[in-house]
Amino acid sequence: MEVTMDPLFLAWSYSRRRKLQQCSDICTKILQDNSYDQAAWSLKTRALTEMVYIDEVEVDQEGIAEMMLDESSIAQVARPGTSLRLPGTSQAGGPTPAVRPMTQSGRPITGFVRPSTQSGRPGTMEQAIKTPRTASTARPVTSASGRFIRLGTASMLTNPEGPFINLSRLNLAKYSQKPNLSRTLFEYIFHHENDVKNALDLAAQATEHAQFRDWWWKVQLGKCYYRLGLYRESEKQFRSALNHQEVVDTYLYLAKVYQRMDQPITALSLFKQGLDHFPGEVTLLTGIARIHEEMNNISSATEYYKDVLKQDNTHVEAIACIGSNHFYTDQPEIALRFYRRLLQMGVYNCQLYNNLGLCCFYAQQYDMTLSSFERAMALVANDEEQADVWYNIGHVAVGIGDLTLAYQCFKLALACNNDHAEAYNNLAVLELRKGRIEQSKALLQTAASLAPHMYEPHFNLSILSEKIGDLQSSYTAAQKSEDSFPEHVDTQQLLKQLRQHFAVL
Amino acid sequence: MSSVESGGDGGKWLDAHYDPVAGLFTFSSCVDLADLSGDGESRLVVGDMGSGSSGMKLKVYRGTALMSESTLLDLPAGLVAFFMDLHEPRIPAVAVASGPCIYVYKNLRPYFKFTLPGLEVNTLEQDVWQQVREGQIDPLTLKEMLESIRKMADVPLSVRSLRFLSLDTDDMDEFVQLHKQQPIRRQTVITCIGTLKKSTADEDGVSCLVIGTESSDVFVLDPEAFIILSKMTLPAPPTMMDVTGQFDVEFRITVACRNGNIYILRRESDKPKYCIELSCHPVGLVRVGKNVVVGCTDESLQGFTQKGKKLWKAVLPAPITTMAAMDLPTRGFQAVLVGLANCEVQLYRDKNLLSSIKTPEVVASICFGRYGREDGTLIMTTKEGGLIVNILKRTAAFDDRDSAPGPPLAQSIRLNVPKKTKLYVDQTLRERESGLAMHRAFQMDLSRLRLAAAKAYVKALESSLTPMSSSLSEPLKMNAVVQGLGPSFKLTLNVQNTAACRPVMNLVISFLYDESLYRMRNPYMRIPLLVPGLIYPVETFVECNSDKGISDIIKVFVLHEGKSSPLLTAHINMPVSEGLTLN
Repeated sequence: MEVTMDPLFLAWSYSRRRKLQQCSDICTKILQDNSYDQAAWSLKTRALTEMVYIDEVEVDQEGIAEMMLDESSIAQVARPGTSLRLPGTSQAGGPTPAVRPMTQSGRPITGFVRPSTQSGRPGTMEQAIKTPRTASTARPVTSASGRFIRLGTASMLTNPEGPFINLSRLNLAKYSQKPNLSRTLFEYIFHHENDVKNALDLAAQATEHAQFRDWWWKVQLGKCYYRLGLYRESEKQFRSALNHQEVVDTYLYLAKVYQRMDQPITALSLFKQGLDHFPGEVTLLTGIARIHEEMNNISSATEYYKDVLKQDNTHVEAIACIGSNHFYTDQPEIALRFYRRLLQMGVYNCQLYNNLGLCCFYAQQYDMTLSSFERAMALVANDEEQADVWYNIGHVAVGIGDLTLAYQCFKLALACNNDHAEAYNNLAVLELRKGRIEQSKALLQTAASLAPHMYEPHFNLSILSEKIGDLQSSYTAAQKSEDSFPEHVDTQQLLKQLRQHFAVL
Repeated sequence: MSSVESGGDGGKWLDAHYDPVAGLFTFSSCVDLADLSGDGESRLVVGDMGSGSSGMKLKVYRGTALMSESTLLDLPAGLVAFFMDLHEPRIPAVAVASGPCIYVYKNLRPYFKFTLPGLEVNTLEQDVWQQVREGQIDPLTLKEMLESIRKMADVPLSVRSLRFLSLDTDDMDEFVQLHKQQPIRRQTVITCIGTLKKSTADEDGVSCLVIGTESSDVFVLDPEAFIILSKMTLPAPPTMMDVTGQFDVEFRITVACRNGNIYILRRESDKPKYCIELSCHPVGLVRVGKNVVVGCTDESLQGFTQKGKKLWKAVLPAPITTMAAMDLPTRGFQAVLVGLANCEVQLYRDKNLLSSIKTPEVVASICFGRYGREDGTLIMTTKEGGLIVNILKRTAAFDDRDSAPGPPLAQSIRLNVPKKTKLYVDQTLRERESGLAMHRAFQMDLSRLRLAAAKAYVKALESSLTPMSSSLSEPLKMNAVVQGLGPSFKLTLNVQNTAACRPVMNLVISFLYDESLYRMRNPYMRIPLLVPGLIYPVETFVECNSDKGISDIIKVFVLHEGKSSPLLTAHINMPVSEGLTLN
């Protein structure tokens, strides 16, 4: 005779092994037999939540509504170094766009793509609704909608026969009295159903039941307020939760609130306060490093990433950021070391090989350069990655003077990704060398319209117009170039020369 | 006057008065200082431009207060105070040049009006208007005849005829009826004005007026009878002038002209004696001692001798807005004040910068001289109409900071060159040891890569995958922009013909997409004739039918009508639709 395991224990075991679907199925069976089994109900709720759970403390993307319709900001021009919205004020030692490429918002490109690093704050509504090149989707309308709605629909797809819990018929007041059920229920409502309003109701009643002494409910209240965009209220809840109990998560949530309120300095001091209680905490250190990076203070960011590595030497973000920083500060051989470390850790993707190839080339390890690119080419997942690989091969080809190959590579990059502004720009330079002025001009105009934040197309267009004698166009293009990169010496010289031209009789 | 210490330039100037809302809109040529009541206190006389079309006023300031103002009929072109007679007490008159007239004010009351003599009128033009008066020709014929006269004649048309030519056909009749009875006159206008001592070099000697006109003439007027004493002709209309000497003895008129040259006129001849050809237009002209200092549009200050020899050139940090001389006869100090567009007023003696004053706004006019009872007063008006009065401290000493020779400052700044790491040195060692193998590996990889790239390139060309075609007959380029959040997206295709001079015709655009996912408003579009160099935006709308948060690629083809193989292809990665799920 077969001995059957207690189904609830089996489900529990599945849940611990993260076989969540099986766990949920067994719980469903138990609940069919006895619909009042609280343990099974609670376990199923947890399993369903775990399926769609994402780490709330991670950075998230600001939506269009938060960015363009933000009327609460009083001082439009913040003092340098106090705001995330004014990236132009680079601290001493920051790289120039001539050395390190910039993103649309004027921040140097980082070594690790996070939602907020992709495009930054758009200047105009038109830029906001355009799909940024680095992201494959448009910007969400609000952060409360975008990703969470998508996750919500994903969970709907998995439950074709209808939701597990019907929220509208739920007696929240009853559940809030039962601490053993209310927490899992809250997480289910918050993460799985994405119904922040009901979640807030439940949390409010539960914290009242706990006589405002339970830090966990306060954190949940803060999370709800944050989702609803009520940052001041959520700050209050997190602060009060910290008074009850020092938890790393609470620090991270609170810092996220401050970042959203555009108070990076407060967020930094909060992180440091957190570090006093939890010395060497990696997430706090990473948070500090990210803020420094977003404020263009690359040298301090690198310091903090190094601190992160001292605590956790397998931290991918820290390794990648330090590596890219070394690459752009003219030390590709050290960057190579860092990227090789990533490879040893098992990161095995197209981007990494791409970076390795470039580092090898600039560190004069020629025998490994092209094979790295070949690997990268074999690993491409989509057209954008392929375009980037071709673009980098094109750079190598320019470096060894094989302009035919370079031309082909840039064209292939464009064939893979029609919006590759850098490839347009470089192709225009090659066309100009061939003497095809009209083509070159058209390509530069396209590059400038695709990436208004880049100074190169404007500058090249200015030089081209100056050479063919169209001084007025040259001047306007040079002015645009100056706008996106005020310290560019060549632009300054060109402008000076043009002004002299205009002044002379 | 309340005096406040000015810290900006080594404490050489006292900030005596600043009124940002004085409402004085003027230029240096319309500002003068004169003792208008004979009590030993100088007043500031300003020809205010008002708003440019109305509100022109002659304003007199005493101390910090406006003493009197009287309306001017026209925009002032220049203003000078001068002694016109020998009566006691010695009270100067004020001459305001505007349009073709000089209005002379005495005791701040209108005293005399001098009008420039009319110019010669084209006889043909006169005949034509005579015929009009007699009713022999209608306005349309008149227009034709005037146009033919304008093309042929040496003598330009009168203002009336020019105005008539610019009118619409409907308004011509009325204009002719209104004006045909008056005789035709051709007037010139005054562009600049100066004073020239008649016979003595005394401070309060009688002065002649020197005026430059748009008809390229320079007149010297008798101060009492207002008759023309002397007439000189220039090759171009004058814009600024400086006068020195005495009319009866010897004089020198330095005139900057609109053709960018500076001419120097002397007593004997009615033609310019010397000519300075500048490399760019002058914006300010000041005489210091026997030299002429010219400010140019290329942000430079240049010094010339009386005979037109170039002495020096100084480069300024910003464009010049105005210039004036600074003359302190009690100290034997002469220099040039230059107002710059970066809100500074700099003081130059020869090419050396002596002092620099920061101003709150951009200065539009500068005047230095005796104001009130203070000899060294600097009066400036700003572009926004403010009035600034600074007083030179009696203890102020200006010493030449001659630009000392030596290495430039930038030479001592260390460049932040990163040190070469030990790792780098190790790598170079490896390179040195196994250079041959590395080179071989690289060359082999390179050949393979070239082959791969060429294959991919040929494939892309064959299927016209690239967003630009380089074929000789239809060189085209396209890029696509998607805007919107969904479910409705706007798709803009920018098509450009990159040929040098050949238009492209008969092109169409079609799309390939998943029809279960997207719906397109017009999936087949004709492109108009493409003129080379212009960007043609072709727009269409795409609706996303799915609410599952998935997206797909839309392929765009540009085809030649009647041919099936595309000229261009573009792949558009559609963004995920947000809108449907929002409700």
